[in-house]
Parts: sequence; C-alpha cells; structure tokens
Amino acid sequence: MDNNMLLRIEDLINNPTPRVPICLCLDTSGSMGAVEGDCVETGETVYEDGRTWNIVTGGTSRIDELQKGVEAFYEAIREDEMAVYSAEICIVTFDNKATCCVDFANIERQENVPELHPIGDTAMGEGVNLALDLLERRKQEYKDKGVDYYQPWLVLMTDGEPNGNAGELTRAINRTVEMVNQKKLTVFPIGIGSEADMSTLNKFSPKRPALKLQGLKFPEFFAWLSKSVSKTSQSTPGETVKLDLDGIKGWGEL
Amino acid sequence: MWKMVQCAVQGRSHIKTDIPCQDKTYTLVKNGVNVIALADGAGSAKFSHYGAERITRFICDDFSENFDSYFAAEDGASVKKELVSKIVAELDDLSKELNCSLKELASTLLFVAVKENQFILSHIGDGVIGYLKDNDLKIASQPENGEFTNTTVFTTSKDVLATMKLIKGNIGDIQGFVLMSDGTEVSLYNKREKKLADVLKKIMSLCLVILPQKMEEQLLSSFESVIKQATTDDCSIVLMANDKDSFPGYKNLSNVEKNKLLDFRVFVSKKCLRRYDEILKGLECERTLKDISRIIHLKPRFTKKHLDKLLQLNLIEKKGTRYHTIIIMN
Repeated sequence: MDNNMLLRIEDLINNPTPRVPICLCLDTSGSMGAVEGDCVETGETVYEDGRTWNIVTGGTSRIDELQKGVEAFYEAIREDEMAVYSAEICIVTFDNKATCCVDFANIERQENVPELHPIGDTAMGEGVNLALDLLERRKQEYKDKGVDYYQPWLVLMTDGEPNGNAGELTRAINRTVEMVNQKKLTVFPIGIGSEADMSTLNKFSPKRPALKLQGLKFPEFFAWLSKSVSKTSQSTPGETVKLDLDGIKGWGEL
Repeated sequence: MWKMVQCAVQGRSHIKTDIPCQDKTYTLVKNGVNVIALADGAGSAKFSHYGAERITRFICDDFSENFDSYFAAEDGASVKKELVSKIVAELDDLSKELNCSLKELASTLLFVAVKENQFILSHIGDGVIGYLKDNDLKIASQPENGEFTNTTVFTTSKDVLATMKLIKGNIGDIQGFVLMSDGTEVSLYNKREKKLADVLKKIMSLCLVILPQKMEEQLLSSFESVIKQATTDDCSIVLMANDKDSFPGYKNLSNVEKNKLLDFRVFVSKKCLRRYDEILKGLECERTLKDISRIIHLKPRFTKKHLDKLLQLNLIEKKGTRYHTIIIMN
C-alpha cells in the first residue's frame, strides 16, 4: 500500500457507469428461413410471409447466420473492458407480431441469446414501435435512478417488405425520423439479401442511407457494432463519436 | 488568507491515443484577490487543451483586476454577457495565433474568486463547484449536461449565456471551495444524491496544515493511482481553503489542538502527546523506523504503530524505508 495518498479507494463514490441502450429489432418472419449456399430442393413448397417457398435441404439460413451474429455481438461486448459495463441490450423480434425476447439489462445479467425461429409475416411497424417504447421506458428508468446514459441505438434488420399494419408502419417511421432529427436516437437500418425493401428502410433513416448487407456477412456487421459501442462508451463531452462507416463499406452497400 | 491546491492528470483513453490532457487548472493571488479556475477541453476539439489553458489564466487575471466592479454590478445578466464576450474575444485571439477555428478551443469553465469577505463564482458546462460551510459540504453549481452524458455546454457554445451560472455573496462561515471536472466527478460526486465525497473535507483541512509542495505531491499521486483508474477521462481538481485562524504550526499548538489534529477521540495523556511531538520533530529530517525508535526510546514494533497513525493522517510521508514530517511545524 502506498501511504503517501490523500485519497484511498474506500473514500471514493461508486457512481453507476453511464449506459448505452441498444435495441436490436430483428425480422424473424418466414422469409428469414430462406437458405443460401449449396442446397437441394425437396420438391415440396410452402406459402408463408406473402409468397410460396421451395423446401430445401443443406445450405445456411439467414436466421441461423443472424443468430450467430447476435451471439458474437454479445461475446464481443462481454470481452470489452468498458462496453461490458455500459452496454445494455434489448432484443425485439417481429413476425406476425412484435415480441420483446430480451429486455434491457446489463449484459452480465442476461442469459444466452434466445433461439430465433422464422415464422409468419413481417410486422415491421409493430416491431419498431415496440422497440421505441422499450427505449423510452429504459431512459425513464435511468432518469429515475440517476444513471447517466448515451444516445440510444436502434438496429433494424430485415430481409423483406413490411406487411403488417400500414398505420403502425407510418407511425414507426415518423417516430424514428423525429427522434433522429432531434438527435435523440441513432438508427441503423440494415437490409438482408436481395429482396430487402431498401426504400422502406431508407424512410427510417433521414441522415444516411440504409445499409445493405452483402450476402450473409453478419459477423462483420456485429463486430463493427460492438467496436462502435465500445468507442461510444468512452466518449466525453464535446467528443463527436465518428462511427467508422467506411469500415463497414467493405461488406455493406450504401 | 486562502490556501490553494490543484492537479490535473491525463486520462487513460488520452494516454492510449496520445492526446494531451485537456483538463487545465490555474490559481492566482493578486491585488488581494484569490482566484481558482478549471477548464475541461472539448473531447474532439483539436486544440481544446490550449483553449482550456488560456481561458483559466485569462479569467484569473481578469478577476484579479476587476473583482470589485463585477461584484458591484447589480445586473447579473449584464455581467454574464460581459464575461462571455471577453472569453470569446480572448479565444478569438488565440484562434488567430494557432490558425484554427474558435470551436477547436472549446472548453468548460469553472472558477471562484474571493476578495476579503466577498466571493463570485461562475460555471459553464459540466463539472461541479462545491463549498464547505459549517463543516458541511454543499453544492454551489451542478454539472450542466444535456440529456446524454457525452453532451454539455462550452465557452464557445451558442447557448452559453442561457446555461452559465453566476453567483456572488459573502464568505461568512465558508471554509473552502472545490472545483472538479467530469472525470473527477465519477469518484468524488454522488450523481444520484448530488453530494460530494466526504474526503474533500479532509483534503481542505489538510491544505491548511501541510507544506504546500507536499500537498500537491500527495494530491497528484492520489489522482494518478486512484481517481484516474475509475474513468478513462482526464481528471482535475482545484481547492481553496480558508485559513482564517492562520495555522501557527504544530509546535505552537495547545495540547487540546494537538489532540484534535491527531484525531484522538478522547483526551490523551501529556506523555502520549509528547511522544508524537518527538516523532514529528525527529522526522523533520528523513529517518528510518530504527532511527526514530532510538530517538523516542521505544521498541520499533510500537514505534511503527505511531508512525502508521501519522501516515494515515497524512502528517508524515514515507519514501522507501525513510519517514519525513510534512506538516507545517513552525
């Protein structure tokens, strides 16, 4: 012990670490079961999410890759000295309805990422509205408990066109745009595969175009996302956190 | 008379990225005015460390010259306007010298100026201004953050006038003031309860009895080893303590005063106090445990207990195996 100290650890106040609330709003509609890579058609078909699909064996489904990407994201956050204490993740899925699969909590208190299953339609508006409601509720909890926080993040990932309630979709777009313009939210709309409705995704993002994921490069996206969370959690007043969008150009398409 | 102590340390993230410490502190005693100032340069602003340094010096100089006229002004809003326009003009000059934009010099600013029985304090942005009165630590000005933790107001911000705080008053029973940056806030300011850490009382009272150079050394060492580890941000602090009874030195204290300084809960015997007198006097030169044990005719293991107590009270220091008195003796 160094004796020549005016202050010792026991003299300090233990303030809670400022939080970065992140909501992953994920499409789990039937189309997310679409398979890419080497696969063989079985001759069977199924009608789901607004169209007829061929049943195949082999290959890798979008939802499996998304699942691995989210798990890798959790792992990367757990390994980061700062982000592990500041990041708070919530997962909302949308198919026929919107569901909160994982509510906001510090990552160390959360269990493993729940298994994602592709089913039904694409109620995107309902999903985003639930995500925004949960973000608002979390911010209020921070305020009530005197916890500082950074601007919340919303990551919206979909591979298709929204086919839920049109009014809910419009409301979701308007709410998101208003919050982004007021600098109250950072939004990352991400299109998966060639059939993602980029024009709808762009409506959620007034400041920069939505990104289209190349192939199934989820690991690269989530690695970038965890680094950005880490960077944000260390930012100080007056420090503009420049999200390294060039860094994701290699795998995304602007 | 006021005693002042200050320190600023580079944060861990700035060490990693080789960015200079953007927290700057300055103190000045001139024309009977005591001024302390602290500024925390804006994170992304390239030259904010220069802006912070210039503005702390400027504000100390300005208040040492113009304290009376500021204090006499009835209209606080016009004083704020005058101060902001002077600050911006000063930064504008610096921006020309450095060939950069005004925004590159942005920082927060906290200061307290005291003349005789009057004080003025002002605050732009985050950080905390606190004071000690009747042995109770109170908040004079809270941090001004936006909704999000990494946003605040700076000297160059458009809304600086709307959020700037300016307070004047009489010193009365005020025993000291403290300024701290947001990096220091993490460890010494309870954000939920809006209270300052009790240890600041101890630092203020030690300010009055410890040799100033030793005080700065110990403060710096504490900041490097303890405060800095709780955040990645730069950390800084400035304190001023009111030495209205003028500490006469340990040797000139009564037994009652010694008893209090040595933190005995009950009055101890004259013999016990004499032992501490001998230790502190003996350690006016650096000595080892064995040396001091011989001087006070006490076995080393018993002597060590007394030395540990004095170390705990920060009245002596230990470097390697040698001890040294740091309290003002005469």
